[in-house]
Amino acid sequence: MEILKLISTNEIIAQAASFLLLLFLLRIFAWKKVLALLDARKERIAHEFQKIEATKQAVAQLKSDYDARLANIDEEAAARIQQAVDKGKELTDEVRKSANHEAQRIIDTARQNIKYELSQAKEDLKNQVIELTISAAESVIQEKLTEEDEERLAKGFLNKIDELK
Amino acid sequence: MHTELPTLVSLIAEAFHSQPWAKYLIIWQNLIYSLLVVFILILIAIMATRKKSFIPGRLQSVVEVFVGVIDDFVCGILGPSGRRFVPFVGTLFIYILFMNLIGLVPYMKSSTSGLSTTVALALCVFVYVHYSAIKELGFLGYLDHLMGKPRGVVAFSVILPLFMLFMHIVTELIKPVTLSLRLRSNIFADDMLIAALSSFGIKGLPFLFFSMFIVVIAAVVQALVFSLLSTIYFAIFLVHDEEDKGHNQLVNKEG
Repeated sequence: MEILKLISTNEIIAQAASFLLLLFLLRIFAWKKVLALLDARKERIAHEFQKIEATKQAVAQLKSDYDARLANIDEEAAARIQQAVDKGKELTDEVRKSANHEAQRIIDTARQNIKYELSQAKEDLKNQVIELTISAAESVIQEKLTEEDEERLAKGFLNKIDELK
Repeated sequence: MHTELPTLVSLIAEAFHSQPWAKYLIIWQNLIYSLLVVFILILIAIMATRKKSFIPGRLQSVVEVFVGVIDDFVCGILGPSGRRFVPFVGTLFIYILFMNLIGLVPYMKSSTSGLSTTVALALCVFVYVHYSAIKELGFLGYLDHLMGKPRGVVAFSVILPLFMLFMHIVTELIKPVTLSLRLRSNIFADDMLIAALSSFGIKGLPFLFFSMFIVVIAAVVQALVFSLLSTIYFAIFLVHDEEDKGHNQLVNKEG
């Protein structure tokens, strides 16, 4: 019971009031404000993390899209190159064909020209033979031919024919 | 050898010993130092939260860290619903810590070395714990909790619950006694140790510094023990009840 002498009821009440006063004032000035601030910060950090996570996912999505597009670009480029090569081959074939065709056409034209020239020459030759024959006949008619003359005329006629050849 | 070092209040009382109010200074010495601690803590709180911002200054950071640690500490024991007890337990801790430590400042005194101070704090805890328990469980639920479990058979339904009720009431009444005596005895012993070593003069200086280091640790530990036990007293009523509710819900679902 010695210990009870150390206790004073008045002091207990005063000390309790002092603590309750501190509790009341700290609740107003510190606890409410700081806890609210900590909660707000926690929420904000969580929100920021969510945003970061969402951005990360968007970036990953974008990257995969780009990767897919890049892979397609390679395929597309390869396809286009192949297409160009094929077209080149086609063009080459076309050019070759048209050149061959043109050459054939030129050859044909030349042949036709030659044929025409030849037939023209033959015609000319025929006409000249006729003219010579007529002129020979005329001179035979106009002159009295000796045997020597006939021979000379015949030889002359033959020589002319030779010349024409 | 003095068992107590002179304090500012005791020196003033000695200087004005002829005045009628001088003796009251000695009687209310502990309260004066408690009010000084209250004033210091309120000043710190106001300064820390005056310009609160998302990017805190030094003082705001310290206060935020302290509040965060207390919040984690209390909610770690009581669960998320224990948030409402954070201000009480936090104030209790910081108040006791400052009262313990202020005794290390020359010419100051630890109010917690006075039994009336610790009894007052223990009674605050006692009243708040039982008020919260009655508010949470209802008066019958509160008595039911004190009667304990299991029940069912005759002996278990009448005799044992009454015995348990008596035992629990005694236990609950002893709690503030143990809380207050533990804190007061430790801090009083610390003060006596410092006073005794101070009386050795320069020869006792190394021991004094070493013991001051020990006293600082003891001050923190005692504040922590008082707050931890207070939180556990809340948990005994509230967390236990939540577990029972969960168990009853499980039984109802299975039934």
